[in-house]
Amino acid sequence: MANHDLESRTTLLQRFWGYAGAVSVRTKILGIVLALVLLLGMGTTFQVREVYQQSLIRQLEERSVSVARDLAARSTDLILINDLFALHQLLEETLANNPDVRYGFIIDDSGAVIAQTFGEGFPAGLVDSNTISPLEHHQTVALETDEGRVWDTAVPIFDGQAGTARVGLSEESVQNTVTALTGQMLLTVVIVSAIGIAAATFLTWVVTRPILNLKQAAEAVGHGDFDQHVRPWAGDEIGELTQAFNVMTVDLAKAELERREREQLRTQLLDKVITAQEDERKRIARELHDETGQALTSLMVRLQNLNQQILVPELKPQMDDLRNLLAQTLDDVHNLALELRPSALDDLGLVAALERYVKDYNEHSRVDVDLVTIGFKEDRLPPPVETALYRIVQEGLTNVARHSQAKTVSVLLERNNGRVRAIIEDDGMGFNPQSTMKGDRLGLYGMRERAELLNGELIIETKENQGTTIFVEVPF
Amino acid sequence: MADRQTYIQPPRILKEAMRRLFLLLFPVVGLLVACSTTQSSAVINLSQLEPLPVEVPTEVTPLRVAVAAIISPKDTLDSYKPLIEYIGERLDRPVELVQRRTYAEINDLIKSGEVDLAFVCTSAYVIGAREFGMELIAAPQVRGETVYYSYLIVPADSPVESMADLRGQVFAFTDPLSNTGRLYPTSLVQQLGETPDLFFGRTFYTYSHDDAIRAVANGVADGAAVDSLVYEHAMERDPDLVQKTRIIHRSPAFGIPPVVISPHLRPQHAAELQSLLLEMANDRAGQAALDAVGFDKFVSINDDAYDSVRVLERAVTPES
Repeated sequence: MANHDLESRTTLLQRFWGYAGAVSVRTKILGIVLALVLLLGMGTTFQVREVYQQSLIRQLEERSVSVARDLAARSTDLILINDLFALHQLLEETLANNPDVRYGFIIDDSGAVIAQTFGEGFPAGLVDSNTISPLEHHQTVALETDEGRVWDTAVPIFDGQAGTARVGLSEESVQNTVTALTGQMLLTVVIVSAIGIAAATFLTWVVTRPILNLKQAAEAVGHGDFDQHVRPWAGDEIGELTQAFNVMTVDLAKAELERREREQLRTQLLDKVITAQEDERKRIARELHDETGQALTSLMVRLQNLNQQILVPELKPQMDDLRNLLAQTLDDVHNLALELRPSALDDLGLVAALERYVKDYNEHSRVDVDLVTIGFKEDRLPPPVETALYRIVQEGLTNVARHSQAKTVSVLLERNNGRVRAIIEDDGMGFNPQSTMKGDRLGLYGMRERAELLNGELIIETKENQGTTIFVEVPF
Repeated sequence: MADRQTYIQPPRILKEAMRRLFLLLFPVVGLLVACSTTQSSAVINLSQLEPLPVEVPTEVTPLRVAVAAIISPKDTLDSYKPLIEYIGERLDRPVELVQRRTYAEINDLIKSGEVDLAFVCTSAYVIGAREFGMELIAAPQVRGETVYYSYLIVPADSPVESMADLRGQVFAFTDPLSNTGRLYPTSLVQQLGETPDLFFGRTFYTYSHDDAIRAVANGVADGAAVDSLVYEHAMERDPDLVQKTRIIHRSPAFGIPPVVISPHLRPQHAAELQSLLLEMANDRAGQAALDAVGFDKFVSINDDAYDSVRVLERAVTPES
C-alpha cells in the first residue's frame, strides 16, 4: 500500500515538474519574484502583526491592573462610610476617563455587588469569573464575552476588608488598531508586488530578448542562412553565448563552402569515372566487335574453306567440333560486347536497346519482364540520359534476377514534358534497406548517383514480402 | 519519432525532504492553534443583564456599631476592628462596623435605631442627647483621664503664635458638628469679635482630625483645631507627620467622646453592653482590643461632665 502511495505521489511530482519546466522563462521569473515578494510581505506582515498585537495586549493588561488599583484606592473610604452615590460616580468617571474600560464594579467583603456600571441588571457569571484572595496584589483574567475578549482585573480593597474592585478592559480597540495596521501592511505588500511584477517583466524582457534573437538566428542557420550575425547586448553569459554563436556561424559558413566545393569535386569525379567507365566499355565492346569478332569470323571462313578441302572423312567430326566451338565463341564474344555496351544504345536509342536487353533477359532467366514505353516517338534523348537510364534498368533487373525470387517484373518507361520516368516493379520478396549487404547497397547507391548526376531523383520503395518498386525521374 | 523527455526529474533527496517537511508542519501548526486559545472557555454575555441576587437578611440580626469620623475611615477600621470583634465574641453575635462621612449622619442612624451602639464626638452627643434621647453608657479613659482638649495647630515653621495671627489665612475645620474641630476654634474667633467666614481667608472641612493634621503638616492649611487624643495617637504612630506641626494653644478640658446607645435599643441589651464595656479591661482579649484603640479602659461617666461643651455650644452660633 505504502509503495503504491509513494509511487503515485512521485508521478504527481514528476507531472508538476513537467508543467513547471515547460512554462516560459518570463513566467518563471515573474513567478519567482511574485512568490518571493508575497512570501516576504505576508511573512513580515503576520510577524509584525503578531508582535504588535501581543505588545498592545500586554499594555492593555497592565492598564487594567493600574485602573483597578486606582479604583480600589479611591473607593476605600467611600465604601467604609457607605457613600454609595459617590462610589457610583467614581465608577462612572473611571469608565468615562479610560476609553478601553468596558465595565467596573465593586463587591463588598461578603461578595455582594454594591456598585456597578451596567445599570439595571448584571451579566450572569461575571462576578464568579475572577476570584481573588485578599493577600494577592491583583489578578487578571482574559474573559471570552459576546463582545470579544475582555481583560478583567480584580484588586482587593483595603486588604479585602472593604471588598474587591473589578474592572474589565475590552480588546476591541486593540483589535481595530491591529486590523488597521494589517490592512496597511497588506496594501504595501500589494503595491510592492505590483512594482515587483513591473520590474520582473522588464528584467525578463532584458534577459529573454537576446535569447529570442539567438533562437531566430539559430533557426535561420538551420535552414542554411549562414549570414546571421547577432549583436551581443551585454557582457554577461548570454553575451558570451552570442559571441560563441557568431563564431560558430562563421565556421559553419566556411565549412558549408568547403562542403560545396568537395561536393562539386565529388560530382565531377563521379561523372568522370562513369564517363570513363562507359568509354572504356565502349572501346572494349568495339574492339571485341571489330577486332576480335572480325578475327573470329575470318577464322570461321577459313575453317569453312578448310572443311571443304579436307577429303579425309575421319577429320570431319573434329572439324565440326572446331566449327561449333568457334561459333560458340563468336556468340559469346558477341554477347559480351552487347552486355558491355550495346551498340543499339548508341545507334538506335534507349528504347531499342532496352527491347533488345529485355528479350535477352527473358530468354536467360526465369523472371518474366514486361516492358512498356510511352512517348518515345520523336528524337532521341541526350546520350548521358540514355546511358544512365539504360544502366539503371540494367542494374535493377540484375538485382531482381539475383535476389528477389520474383515471378514478374514490369518496366515502364515514360517520356513527357521534358522529363523521363522509369518504374521498375517486381512481385518478389522485397528487402529491408537497413539489413541489405554493403556490396548491394553500393549498387543501389550507384543507381541513385547516376540519376542525381543528371539532376534527377531515384526513389526505392520496398517492404519484406511485398515486392520492390524503383522510381526514377530525370529531366532533359 | 524518438520519445522526447518532457520533464526533468527532481533529485530524490529533494522529494524526500519535501515529504518530511509536510509531515512535520502539520503537528506544529496544530500546536500553534491550540496554544493560542485562552484558558477560560465559558462565554460571558455582557449585553444580557439579569437582576442581581437580593441580599437575604441573615437569620441573626447583627449588632450594628457606629464610629464617628474622628479619624479617617481606614484608620477607624484598623483601630476599632479588634474591639468590634471582641464585642461580637462576647455576645456571640455578629457585629457590624458602620461609618459615615459626617457626625450628623451617624446621629441620624442612632436616632432611627439603625445603629445600636456608637462611639461619637462630644458635641454630637450633646446635640443627640438634647434632640432625641441619645443615651450615655460609658466613656473611655485615656492616659488616666476622661477629658480631652482642642489643640490649635500650625505648621512647625509658621510664625503664627495665636488665633489672632491667623487672620486672612487658610483654616481647616473637621466636621460641622465637631466640638474640638469647629465649635472651639469658632469660639476663639468670636472672642476676637469676628466670624470665621470673614476672619479667615478660606476655610474647608476635612471630616476627620488626622486629615486636618495632614492638611496643616503639608501646608494645605495654615491652621487647624484638632482632637488632642487623635493628635497624641498620631504622635506615636506617625511622628514624622506630627513633627511638621506645632501646637500654639490648648483649650480647656472637655468631656471625652462617649459611648452611646440608640433610644430604640432594648434595656436588656443596653445593660449587657454596658457591663461588657466596663469589664472589658479585665480580660486579655479585651485589653488587647483596648490597646488597639488606645484606651486604658471604659468607665461610667456622668452626663454633667459634658456641660462645658453645652456652654460652648450655646455660645457659638452653629453654622447651618
